Amino acid sequence: MSQNRNLTFGQRFLANEWSALAVAIVIGLVTLATLSSAFLTEFNLYVMLRSFCVVLIVAFAQMLTLAVGQMNLSVGALGGLVAIAVGGMMEKWGFPVPVAILCGLAIGAGGGLINGLLTVRTGINGFIITLATASAFTGINLGITESIPFYNLPASFVAFGTGRISALPYLLLPPVLIAIALAFFLARTVPGRQLLAVGGNPQAAELSGIPRDGVIVMAHTLSGLLAGAAAILAVAQLGSAQPSIGVDWLLMSFAAPIIGGAALAGGHISVAATALAVVLIVIIQNGMVLAKVDPYWVQFLLGALILAAVGLNRLRAVRAGGA
Amino acid sequence: MRLTIEGIGKDFPGVTALDDVSFEILPGETHALMGENGAGKSTLIKIITGLYRPDRGRLLVDGKPVDFTSPRDAIAAGISAVHQERNLIPRFTVGENIMIERPPTRNGVIDFDKVHSEARRFLDMIDPTIDTRTEVRHLSVAQMQIVEIAKALSLEARVLLLDEPTASITGHEADALFAVVRRLRDEGKAIVFVSHKLEEVMAISDRVTVLRDGRIAAAGQPIAQMDRGKIVTAMIGREERVAEMGTRSVDRTKTVMEARNVATSLGHKNVSFQLHKGEILGLYGLVGAGRTELARALIGDARIVSGELRLNGNPVTIPDVPTAIRRHRLGYISEDRKAEGLILTHPIRSNIAISVWRRIASALGLITRADERRIAHPLVEKLEVKTPSIEQAVGKLSGGNQQKVSIAKWLAAGVEILIIDEPTVGIDIKTKTAIHELIGEITREGLSVLLISSDMPEMITLADRILVMRDFAIAGTIENTRRYEPMSREIMGLIHAGSADAAPAAETAHG
Repeated sequence: MSQNRNLTFGQRFLANEWSALAVAIVIGLVTLATLSSAFLTEFNLYVMLRSFCVVLIVAFAQMLTLAVGQMNLSVGALGGLVAIAVGGMMEKWGFPVPVAILCGLAIGAGGGLINGLLTVRTGINGFIITLATASAFTGINLGITESIPFYNLPASFVAFGTGRISALPYLLLPPVLIAIALAFFLARTVPGRQLLAVGGNPQAAELSGIPRDGVIVMAHTLSGLLAGAAAILAVAQLGSAQPSIGVDWLLMSFAAPIIGGAALAGGHISVAATALAVVLIVIIQNGMVLAKVDPYWVQFLLGALILAAVGLNRLRAVRAGGA
Repeated sequence: MRLTIEGIGKDFPGVTALDDVSFEILPGETHALMGENGAGKSTLIKIITGLYRPDRGRLLVDGKPVDFTSPRDAIAAGISAVHQERNLIPRFTVGENIMIERPPTRNGVIDFDKVHSEARRFLDMIDPTIDTRTEVRHLSVAQMQIVEIAKALSLEARVLLLDEPTASITGHEADALFAVVRRLRDEGKAIVFVSHKLEEVMAISDRVTVLRDGRIAAAGQPIAQMDRGKIVTAMIGREERVAEMGTRSVDRTKTVMEARNVATSLGHKNVSFQLHKGEILGLYGLVGAGRTELARALIGDARIVSGELRLNGNPVTIPDVPTAIRRHRLGYISEDRKAEGLILTHPIRSNIAISVWRRIASALGLITRADERRIAHPLVEKLEVKTPSIEQAVGKLSGGNQQKVSIAKWLAAGVEILIIDEPTVGIDIKTKTAIHELIGEITREGLSVLLISSDMPEMITLADRILVMRDFAIAGTIENTRRYEPMSREIMGLIHAGSADAAPAAETAHG
């Protein structure tokens, strides 16, 4: 932006949408490192990074629907379905691990495709559509498993979920690759830009010859694909395919993109800020554990954090509008 | 490319927007499309650009019938448009917005250097000062308009539609635009130019087509054979179209609202007028002249920065809309009934009673249906709202009956001054007359009305006096003689005064 060239580094930093997040993260790190000797140990860092992985991909799954001004209430339900499908394929049918993973991703993308097509074809609000499909996906999940997890998963798969190089879990690799791919997709490819264009001004996008409905279907499909990826990672992390995977994803999936400055109306999301938001959430959760705070209070804090982040963005928007 | 419009017709519920419209747009010409507001220009443009499909007739490109199901089809056929609404992505850069339809890529990845250099090429044709790397949300309205034009140029269309392209740009920018238009025309492109500004049309068009009430009033007339008078006549029609309103006598001794040299935060300057008790004061002007904006300032939705507003002789400052309604008994009926005036899914009963809920609520703050009915029923009877029941959802009523409900709501609230913005937009002729009679009647009962309308016959039918606005200022006040021909000429004269003898460059930017 041309008018930013005259600003000092400090001013530019403050104008940046993730500056507040970066500051909060640094404060959190310094505080916890000072207060708790356990915080900076290799094992604790490993634990934090490990819990970062699934949440990040879940946040990305929601972020993509937010990008087009939609939402996906079925992230967790779809994740649960993919988790038990992958577990079942490996335990009951003896599928090789890569095949099971690919099938799982396909189920995730398929679920997202259904969400997208239903939204576009019926013209019904995506909120209702994904609320309904969420219930349907959960129903299939519980119908198949009768709530009994799959425990006997291939050793190589489970080993991937627990392996690490000092503080770095193997599990961190997929989310990092996904983050890089997503950032590139949204910044440099035609479908990625079309996704943001449709979110930014649907009518303008359509008049510019962008297939609006197709783009919305794509966003939902990618969202489902990522929900599936998160589920597979969660199975590897837990070492078993629990039907309950995904039940606690919904709040987090909205919290991270929104704390990262996403506009609910669409058209404005940030991969980096969403990732930073997840880092902040993980640090807070870890800090509460180290401080032996009742985990239920983490919920409360997360709520407060969402409100604070949204308030901050609103303030920034009002100020920018007046300039 | 030759674009033939053949017997096109389009209906909307209750209104025929276009009927049997035929004319031809030829390569290498600038073809002006004119008509009063509501004549059907916008609908026709939406059909040509693939947003609407015609109910009757067809479009032909170079003699072959085409059927556009979306804007993509029209763009693919070589037709692109600059619409009146803003059609840019706010958080994308200027360059990316210009190149959005087909961004240059290398190995499947968008080549942003090329995006900006290509965009630069098209932007330089009009305004070299805009940085292609600026995000669109940081631009002024005029700059956005220029970006939109550059974007249309980048589509390398063979038919280019410009819908009021100069409405928000300066004379200098307009000159640059006209130079581009002439160059494109000389390259063999067909330009369709929609404008209200007669001087512009006379200056750059080769032929002109005029629409009136959804029909052709003049088809592809060479501009050399037309003059201002002939175009105005085609636009407004020759026949007397003023309905009898009965004799009106307004007592001009009692002034209920007076503006003295008012300037507003929206850009109005030196606005002075008096509204008398029982009077209908018309406010006429082109789209963008600042009429609706003046209404917003009067009801406290925008600030009056200097000058004085007096109600019943007392100077007042109105901080917000609720105060205007409750303390000053000043109401406003928006042009956009559906978005701003009525709650479409709620019944007539509560739409009317909403303005008095506080008054009819019991001590516990409860409102009963019976109370609402007591308020609403007499008004529904009096205004002759055509409905099977007072419980009918307002959204199911026709436009005219919705407008009656709007008026009923303000009568229930007991306003003394009512600002009515475009009361009969989208309403059929018969109901229009009923609304006009209703407005006449409420003023005879002592209400004062400030009437905003772009509909010339409506203005001359209803108003006692007419304020003509231009560029956020009052261009003049005319006593209404209710003789259509001389009145409309006098009003048109005031609107075009100042620009009549000068080049289009004399047009100034609007706030």
